Amino acid sequence: MVQLRPRASRAPASASAMVDEGQPASEEAEHGLLLGQPSSGAAAEPLEEDGDGDDDLDDEAPEELTFASAQAEARAEERRVRETARRDKTLLKEKRKRREELFIEQKKRKLLPDTVLQKLTTASQTNIKKSPGKLKEDKSQKKNEECEKGNESKKVKEKIQSIGQNKSYLARRLKDQDLRDSRQQAAKAFIQNSLYGPGTNRTTVNKFLSLNNKRLPVKKAAAQFLNNGWGTQKKQNAKRFKRRWMVRKMKTSKK
Amino acid sequence: MGEFKVHRVRFFNYVPSGIRCVAYNNQSNRLAVSRTDGTVEIYNLSANYFQEKFFPGHESRATEALCWAKGQRLFSAGLNGEIIEYDLQALDIKYSMDAFGGPIWSMAASPSGSQLLVGCEDGSVKLFQINPDKIQFERNFDRQKSRILSLSWHPSGTHIAAGSIDYISVFDIKSGSAVHKMLVDRQYMGVSKRKCIIWGVAFLSDGTVISVDSAGKVQFWDSATGTLVKTHLVANADVQSIAVSDQEDSFVVGTAEGTVFHFQLVSVTSNSSEKQWVRTKPFQHHTHDVRTVAHSPTALISGGTDTHLVIRPLMEKVEVKNYDAALRKITFPHRRLISCSKKRQLLLFQFSHHLDLWRLGSTVATESPFYPGMTLEEKIYTNNLSLKRKNLREISCSRKAWGYPSTLQRCRSFTAAQNKGTVESMCLLAVSPDGNWLAASGTSAGVHVYSVKRLKLHCTVPAYNFPVTALAIAPKTNNLVIAHSDQQIFEYSIPDKQYTEWSRAIQKQGFHHHWLQRDTPITHIGFHPKRPAHILLHDAYMFCIIDKSLPLPNDKTLLYNPLPPTNESDVIRRRTAHAFKISKKYKPLLFMDLLDEGTLVAVERPLDDIIAQLPPPIKKKKFGT
Repeated sequence: MVQLRPRASRAPASASAMVDEGQPASEEAEHGLLLGQPSSGAAAEPLEEDGDGDDDLDDEAPEELTFASAQAEARAEERRVRETARRDKTLLKEKRKRREELFIEQKKRKLLPDTVLQKLTTASQTNIKKSPGKLKEDKSQKKNEECEKGNESKKVKEKIQSIGQNKSYLARRLKDQDLRDSRQQAAKAFIQNSLYGPGTNRTTVNKFLSLNNKRLPVKKAAAQFLNNGWGTQKKQNAKRFKRRWMVRKMKTSKK
Repeated sequence: MGEFKVHRVRFFNYVPSGIRCVAYNNQSNRLAVSRTDGTVEIYNLSANYFQEKFFPGHESRATEALCWAKGQRLFSAGLNGEIIEYDLQALDIKYSMDAFGGPIWSMAASPSGSQLLVGCEDGSVKLFQINPDKIQFERNFDRQKSRILSLSWHPSGTHIAAGSIDYISVFDIKSGSAVHKMLVDRQYMGVSKRKCIIWGVAFLSDGTVISVDSAGKVQFWDSATGTLVKTHLVANADVQSIAVSDQEDSFVVGTAEGTVFHFQLVSVTSNSSEKQWVRTKPFQHHTHDVRTVAHSPTALISGGTDTHLVIRPLMEKVEVKNYDAALRKITFPHRRLISCSKKRQLLLFQFSHHLDLWRLGSTVATESPFYPGMTLEEKIYTNNLSLKRKNLREISCSRKAWGYPSTLQRCRSFTAAQNKGTVESMCLLAVSPDGNWLAASGTSAGVHVYSVKRLKLHCTVPAYNFPVTALAIAPKTNNLVIAHSDQQIFEYSIPDKQYTEWSRAIQKQGFHHHWLQRDTPITHIGFHPKRPAHILLHDAYMFCIIDKSLPLPNDKTLLYNPLPPTNESDVIRRRTAHAFKISKKYKPLLFMDLLDEGTLVAVERPLDDIIAQLPPPIKKKKFGT
């Protein structure tokens, strides 16, 4: 900041000075505004203090900063800032450009090769009704190729209607598929719950088949009398223990 | 006849899927049946209840509703949200249209047959217009709060009743808004915690709405005022289905306990004009839930989780009281699911998702511990593209040629080269053992015989008005033996292009009446390699060896002739012997064939094994248990 030496006069700078700096005046003013125009009172005191302090430390007068040099400095500063801003902008632009290219590349990779796309567009225009005999012959040859393409085509985001020419694949939007599946699951759960869920009076197949046996003149056992699923963990533990015990017994008997 | 060693196979783990929907078509007297795995079968009720068409199913296409529309068009809708139309000529799916309402729970065709109404999961009722080639969405009705589980049109086509959870709504077609909302009482055995699900509604022409719900009630509502008229508490479990006859004087309901009730409109006293609905007959033919019923003019049809299709002709509606008026229970498939290769001693089992190949072992050597006598060769899983479920017809083509590996290649190339100009689906195929002839029966009348060497049509057997159930070509004589659904058997000589002498003789005399009264169709015909006079055939409950050299039985003789005791004189034995040697030892039979001179293979499927794998039934309290 340009410190104006003559303290006494509060009047604005000499007209010549003002006229001299046509352009930088605005910037100066900007800076002045930014840093806050020192009020006369406020300016006076620190200057006085500085002056006092300086006087104590060194008797030299503060360096003379011509306005021009300071102005040049300010301009240089401005330029530097501008330069950095421009550089930053260009860097950002470059980055964005590179990312866009990357995306385009990826998209291109994901999309079907051009030949197939062409075939699709032409097929949608031509008449779909062809004799099934011809289709079968085509199918057998193209089926292998179409299988691979079919896997890729699922990633295509647009919904393509099934093409009549070779019906070996169908493109669908996966986003819609999730919603449909969840609804179907909910519907299945509803019917399962209402027919076989809690509160329904269902019995097991074993009991159902054994009901007759109970009412025969000579009562028979249930259809599935043994429950082999009972205590599986216990049985496993017992088996393991037996094996270990046998091994131990062998060892001690050998000794 | 001789002695045979029998390979008795009981480990074919065939479990049919439960029946979900049934739809009866009055004009053609056909019944469409859809199962829980998505297969749709068409039964021809006038051709001895034979299953003539079959659409293999897929889990994604599980149907919840089935209906016939004008012009013999069949539609189904399922939980995947799509309406599917079936092409009955080409035995394929014409198209499937997404209704965009979520899973579809119910569907009903208008009385005129030109509109289709669909009830969806999100509570919307959608109206579709049936065009000659496709269906088109017309509009939505007012959206309801909960899913629409059942729909019914008023016979005049002006109103519809939609059953949901805890309430029934009556809509006006023109405005599309709900006119009445009738709340259903939740009370179930004194407890009202569970929601009351309205499984079925029916709209009568006098404005009465009949509803069946999960609390076991059959309720009559007045749609003009929206009030309850009468309640019948019919069961302790859900009442899951309802069907009204065309004359609206009787209807039938099916319950989860397996009972089917018949309600009739009878006059209050003998000479009064006032009528009321009375529950007349209970039928207990099912063990598990009866999920669907249908009412034909003369019979009550029911089907459910226990996989039987029961057709009960009503005595008062049937004119002629003969064997036709008996109960029909269709349990076993009407198609052949097993094929056998005689040279290699292999059996091929056809499941819904895969094929199993087993090798027959000997009785002497040590085999695998689980199935002595058989070793599992390989399991062919058909989940990939090459053998997808909808290509099961192609599997059957290769299956028939299985026993004759030399003709397998020729069979394939033949179908590729055939260019008749009409697309027809072949239901049954038979290849001759020497590989020269191929007999095919399809949806058109008559059995066509093609010459494999010259790849063209050789001759056509004259058409018969009943569908073909089994085809086979004899080894040396090249006689084509055809069995029809009315239990008639024809023998046609392919080289001579005419019926054989024996066939003419038996047609002239006619079959024994016990033979004609059999319930199940003949699904397989086999031949003896050394004796050309023998034909082996079987149906689900018997197998029979026809000896063409012996005299034919007339109506007076005993058809099921057990082996005469050896101490009787030769004269008596010769007098009583006739051509049909029937044995009922192995039943229920899914397949039986002659492997070689002294060995038979019989694949049985006991009914208890099927029941053991079904979902749990409703608990029934019996006194003393």
